[in-house]
Amino acid sequence: MKATKLLAALALAGLALGAASCGKKAEPAQAFDPSVPYEVNIGVYGDLEKAYTAVFSSADFKAKFPNVTFKFQTSDFGGHHNRLTTVLAAKERANDIEALEVGFIAQFVETGGLTDLNAAPFNAKQYTKDIVKFAMANATTTKDNLIAMPVDIAPAVLFYREDLARKAGVDMDNLPSWDAYIDAMKKLADPGNGLYAIEHPAAVQAIPLNGGKGGWMKDGKPLEPKEKFLGALELVRKVKAANVDGDLGAWSGPWSQAYIDGKVATIVNGAWFGGTLRTWLSPEPGKWRVAYLPGKMMASLGGTYLSIPATTPADRKPIAWEIIKYLATSPSAQLITFREIDAFPALTSVYKDPVMDEDVAFYGGQKVRRIFADVALNIPENKVSEYDNVILSIWNGAVTEVVNGTLSPEAAYETALTKVKATIF
Amino acid sequence: MQTIVKKFRNQGWYPYLFVSPFFILFLVFGLYPILYSITTSFFDWRLIGTGTPRFIGLGNYANVLNQDPFFWKAMRNTVILLVTGSLLQHFIAIPLAIMINSKAVKGKEFFKTSFFLPYITSTVSVVIIFGVLFDTNYGLVNWLLGFVSDGAKIRWLQESFGIKFVLSVVLNWKYIGWNMVIYLAGLQAIPNELYEAADIDGASSLRKHLSITIPQLLPIIFFGVALSIIGGMQIFEEPFILTGGYENLGGHQNSGLTAAYYLMFTAFKAYRLGKGSAIAWLIFLVIIVLNGVNRYVTKKLEG
Repeated sequence: MKATKLLAALALAGLALGAASCGKKAEPAQAFDPSVPYEVNIGVYGDLEKAYTAVFSSADFKAKFPNVTFKFQTSDFGGHHNRLTTVLAAKERANDIEALEVGFIAQFVETGGLTDLNAAPFNAKQYTKDIVKFAMANATTTKDNLIAMPVDIAPAVLFYREDLARKAGVDMDNLPSWDAYIDAMKKLADPGNGLYAIEHPAAVQAIPLNGGKGGWMKDGKPLEPKEKFLGALELVRKVKAANVDGDLGAWSGPWSQAYIDGKVATIVNGAWFGGTLRTWLSPEPGKWRVAYLPGKMMASLGGTYLSIPATTPADRKPIAWEIIKYLATSPSAQLITFREIDAFPALTSVYKDPVMDEDVAFYGGQKVRRIFADVALNIPENKVSEYDNVILSIWNGAVTEVVNGTLSPEAAYETALTKVKATIF
Repeated sequence: MQTIVKKFRNQGWYPYLFVSPFFILFLVFGLYPILYSITTSFFDWRLIGTGTPRFIGLGNYANVLNQDPFFWKAMRNTVILLVTGSLLQHFIAIPLAIMINSKAVKGKEFFKTSFFLPYITSTVSVVIIFGVLFDTNYGLVNWLLGFVSDGAKIRWLQESFGIKFVLSVVLNWKYIGWNMVIYLAGLQAIPNELYEAADIDGASSLRKHLSITIPQLLPIIFFGVALSIIGGMQIFEEPFILTGGYENLGGHQNSGLTAAYYLMFTAFKAYRLGKGSAIAWLIFLVIIVLNGVNRYVTKKLEG
């Protein structure tokens, strides 16, 4: 008992130290005053600084926020989220606005650390009716707190090489099912001559799981419903068995080189991948086309949210919110972001803009944005949970087992389920 | 002024003032975190969240030892890599040090620098390069093996054996030079008279090394092995980078998941600080036990 008290006392001492560094009790947020000059700190990753710099340089923004300047803290994807996690865990001051990728939003949804934007004085609900529903669901807790605003999303589509599809005589635009896709891939691929239909069998595993962004738990039970997850593993097994893949690990040197050399005919990915193709892997226009996923499956493969950390001082929250609101709900900001970095708008009212019906030269004049928009409007809603990261790591192990043929989909599922239960409960 | 200086010189606490920076820093950055982590290991403590830590006694330890599906796997992997990656290198480093210490070898500095270079090379760069070398389809290793095999490619980074093999190669390549330098220093401390006496007795070169070099090096070997055990039980960067980070948990069948890798995953990906601390202390206990064995064996060999 004495030992318990001693340990508790030590822990309390530690907590007291932590609490002392937390600062004062949160004060109510003050109103945004347009006449006051502000410098807003924004923590972002990847290309977001480029996009938001363009937005903040626009005439529309300058007219609305003449006295606001920005200071970016840009890191690589992993570094940004590691920093944010550490800072929030320590309850230290972060940037006024922090970007979050959808894969990371799960850990904050039910566990605190971010300001509830549905609460006064932000009252975000009145501004979110035009934002895609699934993205809003991801960022909303079971108590209806909104912890971040979606700014861009990644509707999943099938990118394919039109010249190779034509040569193989396959119609990639109307694939009725995943089996039809596999049949088409068999015609497209010529592994003996280094031409592959798909990068890796694991590339398709997340699609039947709505991109793996949430949906890992149902009613408190992990990896449910079983048939959904078994279906994903079975799809992986079928693609592997078709022997049409290049065994290329995503983002590895051989992977990028294979695309640069034109050795991969298709890829399943989010709309943003078009930017990667256009600017890096395959810049020559006219080669690639976009189609709906097989069976017109709707899924999301990424997306960005903007949040206000709970530790942001009360007097800075109103301006942080105004900036987030502008980036998320202003058609001008959404279109500039899309134009700059191919980050597809989360704001559905933008889908009616004429730009969505424009021919896109990179895709041989195809109206790809209409496909992106249609997918975006039909992506199913998924609930995220604080355990998503852990389950995803274990799930990836199950996928590897199926790819390597060491376990059947059923056995891999059961193994993963056992591990998940033992790890999270 | 002189009176003040004299007064200070007479103070008994004068030396303590000068050594105090170390102790203050050690207390703040050494002892406090150690005690804090012991405390943390007895709590259900999530890194993120609004809930307060809950005291659960030995619950984290019981969970790790009895329920956790990854801990024992990670421990097994770590011990295998400890043998094939961290301890094996001593069998290479000692002969290498003896060779370089030989009077017949010219350009000792060049060889010392060359063998030590991997140790000071960035681990991230090294592991990425080894990953490319052992790539199934585009790696140099499989390409070379293609000349002597039937064309079947070894999936080095996708199969259990391959992952451990590549990790062992990386660890040996990186740390042999470090151990060699330690042994070289030990060799240079052995009195030359011992070898001269052996020469008079007509001892062969092998006999001299078995009867003089190795026994004289035993304290150094103990030191080197102790460092390898401490380092080997904490291998993290190499498997983490080679197998794709937290998302893959050591790759196929968790073959590259080491104890430190799992500790990091638990604490900083699953955000279970209490359980992570418990794993850290279990690793510490294993290190203590293994070094006890090391000490016992060394004492026995020393007679």
